[in-house]
Amino acid sequence: MSNLTRCDGVSRRDLLRVGGLSALGLGLGDYFRLQRLHGAENPLKAKAKACILIWLDGGPSHLETFDPKPEAPAEVRGPLKTVATKLPGVRFSEDLARTAGLLDKLAVIRSMTSTLGEHNFGTHYLMTGYKPTPALEYPAFGATLAHVRGQAGVLPPNIAVPDFGIGGSKLAGNGYLPGSTRPFSVGGSSGRRGFKVRDLDFYRGLDLARLDQRRKFVGALDEFSRTKDASSKSASDPDLERAYNLIASTEAKRAFDFSGEPEKVRALYGDQRNSIGQACLLARRLVERGVPFVTVNSKGWDTHQDLYSKLKERYPGDKWALLPSLDFALSGLVVDLSDRGMLDDTLVVVMGEFGRTPKLNANGGRDHWPRVFSVALAGGGVKGGQVIGQSDSLGESPKDRPVTPADLAATIYTLLGIDPNLKLHTGDGRPVRVAPDGSSVVSELIA
Amino acid sequence: MKTGWSVLLALTLTALGCPGGFAGEAGSSSPAGRVDFSNDLIPVFTKAGCNAASCHGAAIGRGGLKLSLYGGNPAADYEAIVRQVEGRRVNLARPEESLIVLKPTKQIAHRGGRRLVDGKEGAELLLRWIRQGAENVSSRSLKRVEVAPRKHVAEKPGSSIQLRATAYFSDGSSQDVTRWTVFTAEDPSAVKIDSESAAAKLLRRGRQVVIARYLDRVVPIELIVPLSGSKPDLAAEPRRGFIDRELLDSLSILRLSPSPLVDDATFLRRVTLDLSGRLPTMAAVRAFLAEPGPKKRQVVIDRLLASEEFSEYWTLQLAKLLRIHPDQGEGEIAGTRDKQGALKYHQWLHRQVRDNVGYDRLARSVILATGDSHEVGPANFYRTVKGPRKQAEFMSEVFMGSRLRCANCHNHPLDRWTQDDYHGLAAIFARIEGGQVVKVKASGEVIHPRTLEKALQRIPGEDFLGADIVDGRGRLASWLTDPANPYFSRAIVNRLWKAMMGRGLVEPVDDFRATNPPTHPALLAGLADDFVKNGYDLRHTLRLIALSAAYSRSSKATEENKADGSFYSHAIRQSLGPEVLADAISDVLGVAGRYGEEPKGTRAVTLVDPKTRSVALDILGRCSREESCESPAGSTGGLQRKLHLFNGALLNARIGAPGGRLDKMITAGESPLSIVEQFYLAALGRYPGDAERLFWKEQLGENVPAGRQRELLEDFVWSLLVCNEFVSNH
Repeated sequence: MSNLTRCDGVSRRDLLRVGGLSALGLGLGDYFRLQRLHGAENPLKAKAKACILIWLDGGPSHLETFDPKPEAPAEVRGPLKTVATKLPGVRFSEDLARTAGLLDKLAVIRSMTSTLGEHNFGTHYLMTGYKPTPALEYPAFGATLAHVRGQAGVLPPNIAVPDFGIGGSKLAGNGYLPGSTRPFSVGGSSGRRGFKVRDLDFYRGLDLARLDQRRKFVGALDEFSRTKDASSKSASDPDLERAYNLIASTEAKRAFDFSGEPEKVRALYGDQRNSIGQACLLARRLVERGVPFVTVNSKGWDTHQDLYSKLKERYPGDKWALLPSLDFALSGLVVDLSDRGMLDDTLVVVMGEFGRTPKLNANGGRDHWPRVFSVALAGGGVKGGQVIGQSDSLGESPKDRPVTPADLAATIYTLLGIDPNLKLHTGDGRPVRVAPDGSSVVSELIA
Repeated sequence: MKTGWSVLLALTLTALGCPGGFAGEAGSSSPAGRVDFSNDLIPVFTKAGCNAASCHGAAIGRGGLKLSLYGGNPAADYEAIVRQVEGRRVNLARPEESLIVLKPTKQIAHRGGRRLVDGKEGAELLLRWIRQGAENVSSRSLKRVEVAPRKHVAEKPGSSIQLRATAYFSDGSSQDVTRWTVFTAEDPSAVKIDSESAAAKLLRRGRQVVIARYLDRVVPIELIVPLSGSKPDLAAEPRRGFIDRELLDSLSILRLSPSPLVDDATFLRRVTLDLSGRLPTMAAVRAFLAEPGPKKRQVVIDRLLASEEFSEYWTLQLAKLLRIHPDQGEGEIAGTRDKQGALKYHQWLHRQVRDNVGYDRLARSVILATGDSHEVGPANFYRTVKGPRKQAEFMSEVFMGSRLRCANCHNHPLDRWTQDDYHGLAAIFARIEGGQVVKVKASGEVIHPRTLEKALQRIPGEDFLGADIVDGRGRLASWLTDPANPYFSRAIVNRLWKAMMGRGLVEPVDDFRATNPPTHPALLAGLADDFVKNGYDLRHTLRLIALSAAYSRSSKATEENKADGSFYSHAIRQSLGPEVLADAISDVLGVAGRYGEEPKGTRAVTLVDPKTRSVALDILGRCSREESCESPAGSTGGLQRKLHLFNGALLNARIGAPGGRLDKMITAGESPLSIVEQFYLAALGRYPGDAERLFWKEQLGENVPAGRQRELLEDFVWSLLVCNEFVSNH
C-alpha cells in the first residue's frame, strides 16, 4: 500500500509541476490574497458553520454498513445480520444498531458511484470532488474551507485526528492552495485525559514564561537583524506566533483534554478503547471552539480478508472492532451535537474512497468496488430521515439517482456556504472551480 | 491489493484555457480562394478556444468531439470533424446545417456557448470551406511566425502597444495573422490584451511576458514598464565583468537602483555557506575581519573552492540533482533498498567533484554507463527512475532543464517538443536494462501512442537514429555535450547561478521552454559560453559569479528596489537547506547531531541515504529524491516545525548539554557578554552591534542570580538559532 509512485506512475510532484505559466511580478501570497478577496464577492449563506468528516480509510463495505442486502444469496449477503432503522423498510448492518435508531437525523446516499477503484485515486476523487490528473492536485474540503474562511482563533482551521495519512498518504490536503491550509495533524494518541498532541506540552524544564522569554528574544534579534529592510512587513514570524499562541492558549490545550467531559457524554462515544469515538469527541470539542473543519481518520477499512473479524469482532469478546466503534462514534457524535444545539450548524459526513465487491472473495473479504457505495450525512442543513438513491439487488450498481463524488463535493460545499462555482486560483494563476464543472448539487439532501 | 485496471490519465494542460469572454468576430476580409483546413481553419478553432484543454482539446475531448490540443494534429482534427459520427458534423448538401457550424454559432445547443458569430469572419470561413467540399488540401505549410514587437519598454503603466503577427509559408507567401493569433498574458492582472485588436495594455510596472500562439508556433513577447519614473545613476557602480554589465543594463532599463555592496562579515558568511555549505568558524570570521587588503575576498573564494568542504557540499548538490537514493521500485523488488549502489554512486560523484572533472564528462559517464551498479557508480543513473519514459523525462530535466513529459500525450503546447521527440528519446532508453547490472538489451521498445507502432530512436528536436541502431546513447551523449548544444550548458549554469544568487535566470530551473524566456538572455548565453570555453568547469563558473559585484550586493532592499524579485537589484535571501541548517545548528551548539546508525560526528550534508533516520531532518524538511528536489517539496507545515522548536528535542536537548559550547563557556566562567559575542560570531558570523550589546547586557546582566542566568543564556542561544538572520543566507 505504501508504494511511492501511484500505479499509473504519476507522482505527487508531477501533479504539482505541470502547468507552466508563472506569475512574474506577483508573489504567491499576493495571489492567494487577491483570490480570497475575489472569492468573497459571492457569499452563500452557510448552513453549516463547521464540518466533521469521518473518513473510513481503505473503503468501507457498503454491504456491511448502510446498504445491506439481507435477501441476497449468502456470498453477497455476507456474514452479518441486519437491523431495522427508524425508517420503515430501511435496514442497516446489525452492528450499526445505534446509528440505525438515529436515521431520522441522518441521510444516506446509497447510489454513490465512481470509476476509480484504487486507493489514492479514489481518495483524491472523494476528498476533492475531482478525479486526479497529472496537471494539478486539488485541495481537499478542509483546505478549501480554511482558505475561504481564514483562521479565526488560535486553533488551526483544518485539523486531522489523529493524522491525514489517508488513501495511501499521497494527498497533502492543500492541493494548489497555500501550505497553511494543510490539515494540522494532532498526532499522538487518545488516552484517559484526551489526546496528546506532539510538541504542545512543554519540554522538561521549560514553562510558558521561558517560551515567552525566548519568543521575545527572537523578536529582538529579528528587530536588530541585518535581514530587516524596506520590504519586510513585520518583525514577527507568523508561524512562530501561531505556535506560541497555540502552546500558550489554555483554551486550545483544553480542547485536547477530555478530563472535564462528563462521564455521561464520554460514554456516548464508547470507552477510550474506541479510537474513532475518542477522535469524534475531540472533533466535537474542536468544532465547539470554532475550528471549521476536522477530519477524523479511521484506518483499516480495506477488508480484503476476513471482514467478519475485522469489522465485528477481532477476538472473542472484542467490543471495539471497526463497526461497533463507528456505531458508537457516529451515534454518540450526532446525539452529543444535537444535545448541545450544535447539530444544525455542524455537518457530519461519513465516507471512504469506495465500496467493496458484492461477492465475498475466497478469503472471506471483499475487494475494491467503486461502482456503487454509500455515504452518510447528518446535521448542518442536511435533511435527515431519508435514503437517497438505491443500489441494485446485489449491491453492484446504482439502480437509480446515481451520485458522483463530484456531485457530493458540490453538495458539501453548498452546505458549507461555498458556491460550487467559486473559482480559486492555482499558484500559476489558473482559475479552478471548487467543485468540478458539470457537477450538480444533490438538492434533495438539503433541508 | 490493487485492482487491475489501468488509467490513461489525461494531461489536462489548461495553460491558455477557454477564453471566457470571446464571442465576437472582426469583420476583416477573408483571404480569397480556397479555404485551407490546416492553415486557415485550425487558427479559427484555436482563437475561438475550441481546441483548448478545457474544451474539445482535452485528452478525452468534450461532448463527444475530440480535437487535438491547439490543433497540433490537423489530420486527426480533420478526421474528427469530417468523418466521425457518420459525417454528421459536416453537411455538404446543406453546409449551413452542418453541426460544426450550428454548434459554435449556438444556433443549436452548445455547452461551450457561442464561440463564433453567424455571418462573421470565422463562421464564414468555416462555411466556405464546407461549400468548397470540406477537403483537407493544403498548398503551403507554415515556416515561421514573426511577432512584433518581441520586446517593448513602455514609459508608464496604462500605455498600450499594438501586437502583430505575420506568418511565413513554404510557398514564399506571407500573411498578417494578427487576427487569428492568440495572445495570452502570463499575468492577466498586469497585461490586458484586447482579443479583437491585439492591443496590449500594460497595467502595472515590471516585466511581463505575453505568449503569441499561431498554429503550432509559440513566441514569447517581453513587455516592460520601468519600476520607477526616473533613471538611476549607475555610473559609479562597479563593473567587474559581463555579469555586472548585463545586470546593470537591465537595471537601467527597469530604472532600478541597486542596493549597496555588503560588508566583509556578511560576504564571508554568504560565500562560505554558498560554496561549502557551512558557517564560517569563529576563528575564520575574526581572521577575515582583521585582515587588510583588497584581495582578501578573492583569496577566500579560492580557498573555499579548493576545500574538502566544497567537495562534500557540491557532491550533495549534485546528488540531489541526480537524485541518488537507495530505493528500488517496479521492475525490481518494490520497496527494497539497495544502499550499496547508492553508496558507490555517491562515492563516484564525490571523486568527480573533488577532482574537478568537467561536467560534460560527468554527464557522458552517467549516460553511457553500463555494468554492475554495485561496482560502477554512474550505472546507478539507470536505477534512479523506472522505465524508459521516466528515464527520458529524468534525463531531459537533469541535463536539458526541460520538461518533456507533456509531449508524452500530445505535442508540447508551450514548447517545441513533439511526441516523436518524447517517445524517440524513450526508445533510446528502452534498450537499457536497469537492474543491478545495467546493460544493453537485445530488444526493447516503447510504443508511440499515436502510431501505435514502435517509436524510433531519436535525438530530441533533431533526427531519428535509424531503425537498425541498438544503443543510441552514444549519439545522445555526443549531441548533448556538443559545445553547440543549446540546452546542456545553459541548464547547469542556470542551476549554479540559482545556487549562488537565489533565483535562476530561468525559473523553474527544470523548465526551460520557448515560452519561458530567461530574465537576462544575454547573460545566460554568456555564462554558458564561458562555461563551455573553460572546460565545463563548475568551480570556474561559481568563482566567476562569486567575484561579481552583483554577488556582493546587500540583501537589504531599499525603498526604490523593494518591488524587485528577479533582477538582482538586491541579493535574494535564501533559507538554509535542511542538511546545511542541521549541521549549522550542531556546529553552533558544539553538539553533534545523530543520523541513523551513522558514526558519531557524521554531518548531515554527507549522508548518502536521504531517508537516514533523523528527527532534525524530519523537522527541517528533507527530500527523499524519489522525485525531483527542485520544486518546493512538502515539508512538515511551518506550525508543526515551530511547535517542535519550542517544545521538541532538536534544540532543547542540546542547548545546554554538557560538553557543548554553552556549557563549556559557563563552566569556564566567561561573562555573559563574552558568551553573547562568541555565539554571534559562531552563528551569525559577525560581532554584535552596540545596540545589541546594550540589549543583551540588560537582559543577561550581572545582577541576575546564577541559576537564572544559565536559563537566560539558554534562552538567548535558542532565540539565536530560531531568528531569521540565522536560518537564512543573506
